[in-house]
Amino acid sequence: MSTIPAGYVETRLIDPFEIHVGPVHERSVHGGQRYALLVDKRHVNGRGVVHGGMLLTFADAAFGQAAWRATDFANTVTLGMQAQFIKGVREGALIEVEPEVVRQTRTLLFIKGDFKVRSETILIVQSLWKLLESK
Amino acid sequence: MAEPEYPQLPANAENISARGFNFHAGPFYRLTADPDGMGARYAFKALEKHMNSAGTVHGGLLMTFADVAMSRTARLVVGEGPSSTVSFSFDFVGPGRLGDVIEASVRIRRRTRSVLFQGAELTAGERLIALASGVWRIGG
Repeated sequence: MSTIPAGYVETRLIDPFEIHVGPVHERSVHGGQRYALLVDKRHVNGRGVVHGGMLLTFADAAFGQAAWRATDFANTVTLGMQAQFIKGVREGALIEVEPEVVRQTRTLLFIKGDFKVRSETILIVQSLWKLLESK
Repeated sequence: MAEPEYPQLPANAENISARGFNFHAGPFYRLTADPDGMGARYAFKALEKHMNSAGTVHGGLLMTFADVAMSRTARLVVGEGPSSTVSFSFDFVGPGRLGDVIEASVRIRRRTRSVLFQGAELTAGERLIALASGVWRIGG
């Protein structure tokens, strides 16, 4: 069973649903931010494989944090998300992603990320976000 | 003060979130299967735990509901053998609110020997909440 590696700190989540399914952890890595989910028994389906909905929720949470940082803490909402589920993983897996903000316009952000267990990509996600306002 | 009049789930709604992440994130319900066996309708009621800090239903939960609804619909044609999501696309059209009964209407678009193509609309009453589509792999 893996644990959260040293260097990670718990992400401060504020959305009730993210708090309900979390925690999520993060650490700084070469100019970016890496987010991690340790799969526990709440996150898997009846076959013991991590639920697609949990992976999409982790993606939404991690990319939301990336959008928040990229916009100097503005409010953003998800407009669209596309995912390819490449490999199923089980309880105890540590899933990591470094979201990349590909482009930011006045009103939109394009964010993508490869989700990995160790060095193996298990999920690819790209997404579109709307920038609501500056704080 | 009168109780707010939230919409209710239909009496025949069948809870399909018995265990695992479905249980933790749900409850989700199946309403009816289409007469031709190529689609079905599902619903959930938006609770406090489903929300985000902006006061709307969390996107991750909406995507979870769509994934559950389409995975269940896959079983209508695949049976109880394994099938899994390989590709998933979701567009957030409008916000869901606390107390909403959000429905998913799923249709299977094509089945081959190895994959299944599906699409779904999520609505709350007359409001369109989201559009979803995906590809399911048939077999382990």
